[in-house]
Amino acid sequence: MRALDTAATGMAAMDLKVQVIAGNIANMSTTGYKSQRAEFQDLIYEHVQRVGAQASDQGNILPVGIELGSGVKAVGTPRLMTQGTLTQTGNTLDVAIQGDGFFKILMPDGTFSYSRDGSFKMDAQGRIVQAEGYVVQPGITIPANASGLTISNQGQVSVTLPGSTTSTVLGQLTLTRFTNNAGLQANGDNLYTATPASGTPQDGLPATEGSGTILQGSLEQSNVEAVTEISNLIAAQRAYEMNSKVITAADQMLQSTAQLMR
Amino acid sequence: MENALLVGLSRQMALSHELDVVANNIANIDTTGFKADKAAFSEFLMPHAADQQFSGSDRKVSFVQDRATWIDFGPGAIEHTGDPLNVALDGKGYLVVQTPRGQRYTRNGALSTNATGQLVTSEGYQVLGDGGPITFQPTDHDISISPNGIITVREGASTADSQRGKLQIVGFDQMQLLQKDSSSTFKAPNGVNAGPPPAGTRVIQGAVEKSNVNAVAEMARMIQITRSYSDIAAILQQQGDQRRNALQQLSQQPSS
Repeated sequence: MRALDTAATGMAAMDLKVQVIAGNIANMSTTGYKSQRAEFQDLIYEHVQRVGAQASDQGNILPVGIELGSGVKAVGTPRLMTQGTLTQTGNTLDVAIQGDGFFKILMPDGTFSYSRDGSFKMDAQGRIVQAEGYVVQPGITIPANASGLTISNQGQVSVTLPGSTTSTVLGQLTLTRFTNNAGLQANGDNLYTATPASGTPQDGLPATEGSGTILQGSLEQSNVEAVTEISNLIAAQRAYEMNSKVITAADQMLQSTAQLMR
Repeated sequence: MENALLVGLSRQMALSHELDVVANNIANIDTTGFKADKAAFSEFLMPHAADQQFSGSDRKVSFVQDRATWIDFGPGAIEHTGDPLNVALDGKGYLVVQTPRGQRYTRNGALSTNATGQLVTSEGYQVLGDGGPITFQPTDHDISISPNGIITVREGASTADSQRGKLQIVGFDQMQLLQKDSSSTFKAPNGVNAGPPPAGTRVIQGAVEKSNVNAVAEMARMIQITRSYSDIAAILQQQGDQRRNALQQLSQQPSS
């Protein structure tokens, strides 16, 4: 019975949806996290009786045919790349991006990753690093005796050096943009890498050419909306249950057929 | 004698097809832009089974035949997603998708861009505008899609809107002739031509159209299917018993 397999694809799809929701809820307070959504499409149809087929010698055609579908498949879990809410932390090395763009991070293997998580720290050499200790690009080193670190809206990092009354510019943070943000590959640790689907990274200065601006002393919260996730979870659970009921129904029908023979 | 069995069987075959249809609807309860299928049956009269030679003439035997599945083109719920490249169509219009198999039509507006900036479906097929594929520049931002499908962006540092194209939205006079072609797309058979969309069709940005499967109705339908299926199984069973009794009684030798 086809219904058994069809319902199984439905259960698998709902299982995936619950996994996606679980990931979103687990990351509800992850800095810079972008929520995911499971996207489904229907599977191929068997055209038992093709629509438009000739029904009689007089040239009548069937106005509708018999199409039996074979279930559902997951096509993707696109990320919703909208702005998360900003919370003030007061920490001078916490920065949030308001608008489009990603921080560029140098990985230990020499490749680049991209992140929206701006909870930066200073390492032993005074370099600005992200939470895992990877250096934020372009590398900016803060002298040990510097004070009054400020990061401007345009990403300019400046400090006041001892014996000076004016601030000194140490460097300039850049933001990287992609044609298709949703095409980035998530690698954990709030890091993304570029893929053929995301397009080539375009480095640029904050607050120019569509890039967002930088806000010092704030962090971008995840854009997960609890209410949406919970209502989706309820819907997914019910849909899973309904698919299992289809399996029960198909099973009952097979059973009553099997019982015909005694 | 066999007719009751065969008529019952024809109904059971039709019911099992119908359960397949219901199963597919329920499996696609969360598929963007999915349109539910409904099964329709017709009576199939078999005139040759009637024998007119008996004193009270037989009636014609009617079988069940699954005639068709038709697509319920009713609108699905509109879910707000917040993604600027998600569009839902309000009204009976379709987006045009270029697939390797030819042009297909879809109500699934969960769109994105590919590496070259073209507007594509989640399967990666180009979504066509009035002048072919719609392409965004790498510096485009603040994408806005108007209710009639015009896509405008801000390019780079520019403060003026620039237009990237207009979504091609089509409509069909005979929508029931459309065939489902998987991946939430429809195919127009030969002779069915896409026309302008019906008046009042509008594009809603940042939302997608959910499946129009009505869970309650499908569950009720399913219960009905399993009940009638087991009822018929019971009838077939009785029919078998009846035949066995008849054979037993008829074969008993009169004890003279």
